Amino acid sequence: MSLIDPLRPLYPFAAIVGQERLKTALILNVIDPSLSGVLIRGEKGTAKSTAVRALAALLPDIIVVEGCPFQSDPDDPKAMSSEVRARVAEGESLPTVTRRVRVVELPISATEDRVVGTLDLEHALTEGKKRIEPGLLAAAHRGILYVDEVNLLDDHVVDVLLDSAAMGVNTIEREGISVSHPARFTLIGTMNPEEGELRPQLLDRFGLCVQVEGLAVPEQRVEVIKRRAAFEADPESFGLGWAKETEALRVRIAAAIARRPRLVATDAILLDIAHRCLATGVDGHRADIVMLKTAKALAAWAGRDEVIAADLDEAQTLVLPHRQRRRPFEDVFRPDAA
Amino acid sequence: MSFVSDSVYPFAALCGQERMRLALVLAAIDPAIGGVLIRGEKGTAKSTAARGLAALLPRLAEGRAAPFVDLPLGATEDRVIGSIDLEAALAEGRARFQPGLLARADQGILYIDEVNLLDDHLVESILDVAASGVNRVEREGQSLVHPARITLIGTMNPEEGDLRPQLLDRFGLAVAVSGESDPAIRVALMRARESFEQDGTAFAQGWAEAQAVLAGRIVRARAALPQITLPRPMQGFIAEICRRNHVAGHRADLAIARAARAHAAWDGRDIVTAEDVTEVAPFALLHRMRGATPDLPPPPPPSEDPEESDQDGESESAPNSDGSEEQEESGAGEGDDAAPPPSDAESAEQAPGPAGDDGDVQSIGTPFTPRPLGSEPRDALLRTGSGRRARSLSASRQGRMVASTPLRERDDIAFDATLRAAAPHQLRRRDEGPGLAIRIRPEDIREKRRERRVGSFLLFVVDGSGSMGAHRRMVETKAAILSLLLDAYQKRDRVAMVVFRGTGAETVLPPTGSVERAARLLADLPVGGRTPLSAGLVEAARLLDRVGRRDPATRPLVLVLTDGRANAGLGGGPPHEEALRLAAALGQRFAAARFIVIDTEPPGLIRLDLAGRLAAALAAPCLRTEDLRAEDLRAEDLVHFAKEFQP
Repeated sequence: MSLIDPLRPLYPFAAIVGQERLKTALILNVIDPSLSGVLIRGEKGTAKSTAVRALAALLPDIIVVEGCPFQSDPDDPKAMSSEVRARVAEGESLPTVTRRVRVVELPISATEDRVVGTLDLEHALTEGKKRIEPGLLAAAHRGILYVDEVNLLDDHVVDVLLDSAAMGVNTIEREGISVSHPARFTLIGTMNPEEGELRPQLLDRFGLCVQVEGLAVPEQRVEVIKRRAAFEADPESFGLGWAKETEALRVRIAAAIARRPRLVATDAILLDIAHRCLATGVDGHRADIVMLKTAKALAAWAGRDEVIAADLDEAQTLVLPHRQRRRPFEDVFRPDAA
Repeated sequence: MSFVSDSVYPFAALCGQERMRLALVLAAIDPAIGGVLIRGEKGTAKSTAARGLAALLPRLAEGRAAPFVDLPLGATEDRVIGSIDLEAALAEGRARFQPGLLARADQGILYIDEVNLLDDHLVESILDVAASGVNRVEREGQSLVHPARITLIGTMNPEEGDLRPQLLDRFGLAVAVSGESDPAIRVALMRARESFEQDGTAFAQGWAEAQAVLAGRIVRARAALPQITLPRPMQGFIAEICRRNHVAGHRADLAIARAARAHAAWDGRDIVTAEDVTEVAPFALLHRMRGATPDLPPPPPPSEDPEESDQDGESESAPNSDGSEEQEESGAGEGDDAAPPPSDAESAEQAPGPAGDDGDVQSIGTPFTPRPLGSEPRDALLRTGSGRRARSLSASRQGRMVASTPLRERDDIAFDATLRAAAPHQLRRRDEGPGLAIRIRPEDIREKRRERRVGSFLLFVVDGSGSMGAHRRMVETKAAILSLLLDAYQKRDRVAMVVFRGTGAETVLPPTGSVERAARLLADLPVGGRTPLSAGLVEAARLLDRVGRRDPATRPLVLVLTDGRANAGLGGGPPHEEALRLAAALGQRFAAARFIVIDTEPPGLIRLDLAGRLAAALAAPCLRTEDLRAEDLRAEDLVHFAKEFQP
């Protein structure tokens, strides 16, 4: 299942030097999971994976139905598996547990059946009954699905990812099994554009996209090395040293999550979004919708109750570059695109 | 399965996209239309509309709601077609049929998102069933026929590669969608989406009345359908439309006739008019013709005889207002595909002749859709790799399971098929002594047959010499390469590029999956100097050797783009003869590779046909850059061409 190991100490998110846009993009997805993810583009060694793994420590808690392999939400029928919904319909009160939102890692070597779910062989052999063995999509429901080197993912796996990302439902019709279960997840992918571009359909599914580069300021680079060395020498006490900052981030994120649903955007803001999207030349309307959500999440993060034009300026840089209708093979990030 | 029903965006609440909504409504009125294919860019509410349609379908005779069945891309054949019920087999010791998705979708909608990505083999089975209305199952010793009257709705983004023409043709209607360009509509859309996501239930309630009105109108239209008449002049009009647009077969005629009747019923009329026909004709033509804009003749005057109006149609050059409106509408989506000619075309023209060794960078000409290079027939060889160009049985455990086989080769066990094979024998085997709930014997074991598409390896061997600078040859050549790269991108091919110019040849792009890198490189590719063709061929051989060692199953496609005017050799005699000798050796040594020479010599001059001689030496076909254009699709595709040529 390759979940991120909860016992291994994580590098604290707050201790990451620079990479502000990357950090903002990740936090925005925690504030509004329906932004549906971040694509992180950049060279090796730019703290991409570190940042995603570190994010796990900042995630809020969720309540799930105990023992449900599909992470059913006891309060939202839309986020329940059919089995749990049947139990609710029969008036059963469900046992629940509270736990941290999960980061599930999808290795690029994963096969389609491991991602989607497959027939539980052991159960079939010992009991003579069919049962599904849930896949990574079930594990990632209401959490984060992390794909390192997403551009190297097998085409078939990308197809099934697209399928369930589209509706937030994973429908399994294979190997004698017929089940559908909710699969809403934040998709975080990293890629090095040198090794090939993403398929356009998958590219569009990432709500936000950031380009990360190596730090240019020598002092910052020195700081990276110092902190890394300190972390490796003694991860626990390094983590404790950053505990205050980490807690402050968690509190601020929780406040933004609470604030977001109350946020309003005026018609003028919406019109501004439409004009910006049209001027950039995007396909379809997903850009408009994601930009509105991003602007709201940014306003919530800043502690405001209203979306302002400055939010759009920032949201635009996260939402539009990878959606811009490109001439074939044009770079996603062109020098003049900034 | 009705799991998403409470989170579906109401059809009535969709903004814009009139044509798509109309096409879907027509298919709901008359399922015999044969399904709808929605083609368009991402994020244009394609899936939202298709899923929303389910709620508007009339209830079935027995009172239950019409089924809406979602076919996921990862579906295996047993679940689509149906297979024996495992649990029943275990409990009762006999084989009982468990219906698949096709049975479930009977009298309802079968919806395939991203239908162009679904396994061809499955798409074919589904289209067969959709056309005949019955599903015949012959598998695992079971033989069964059940009704499957389904309305097929598929969506696709052509950026991800197209459906094969044979499959396209079998969708009754198709509609192209693109984003709305009116900011006001986009604002309305954002607002609607915002309130839907905030509270889906309240949103649905707000639209309940509008939904009921739409559903009622569909029910009435469906009831009126048998009474709608299609006058003879209209039949002639439809035939003329199909004739003018050169659509093969009669599927288009039938689809237009059915859709026009559904449209009349939708409008509450009992007779089909020319407006009905012109309104729906583009739906039936879009995916069946080669051009982008259907050519609609003026409709016949209502009272006239069909023969006469036929002739009218031919002499008339200006289409009537209805026709031209249609043309504008359906043309709008494709219009921006036609890129303008490069602005610096003239400056390139002014820079003829060799420009010395420092090289002169020519711009890239207008790219075009190349003819398909792919679709080599499947063979039984197991390959590894990923891509879309060719389908191959997969040697690894990746790829889509398409079927199971009793042959044991790779320990990749198809558990479900194995259990099904063992199931009917369980009662008897259980009597033989204690053990697991299911006793499996070696003869029960089935393995997965997986299939995946493998990309090809494309090697471009490009002439960068000074002679390529003349007459915009390099501009055209770059356009040709770029177009092939575009194709390679959709098929996830690997590419590499060797350039020869001046004193030698160089692998400017080692084999890579990044077609973007190749394209960037192409833009900066200079021309100038002499033509060391031999060096280019030697470099190509070196590269093919390397690729062959890494993956012996690869069958590279080598495209040599040159005018063949070799004038710098490696010291083995006259440069041109030396190059021909090397070419012959190259062709023999890499028998698995396919070579194509693309002659860049401009037309009109006294043709030396040196590239033709090079092709002959390689036992390869010789094409001109203009031959690559998709408009000349009449010939078999390039690879078939190459295969036929090479014994």
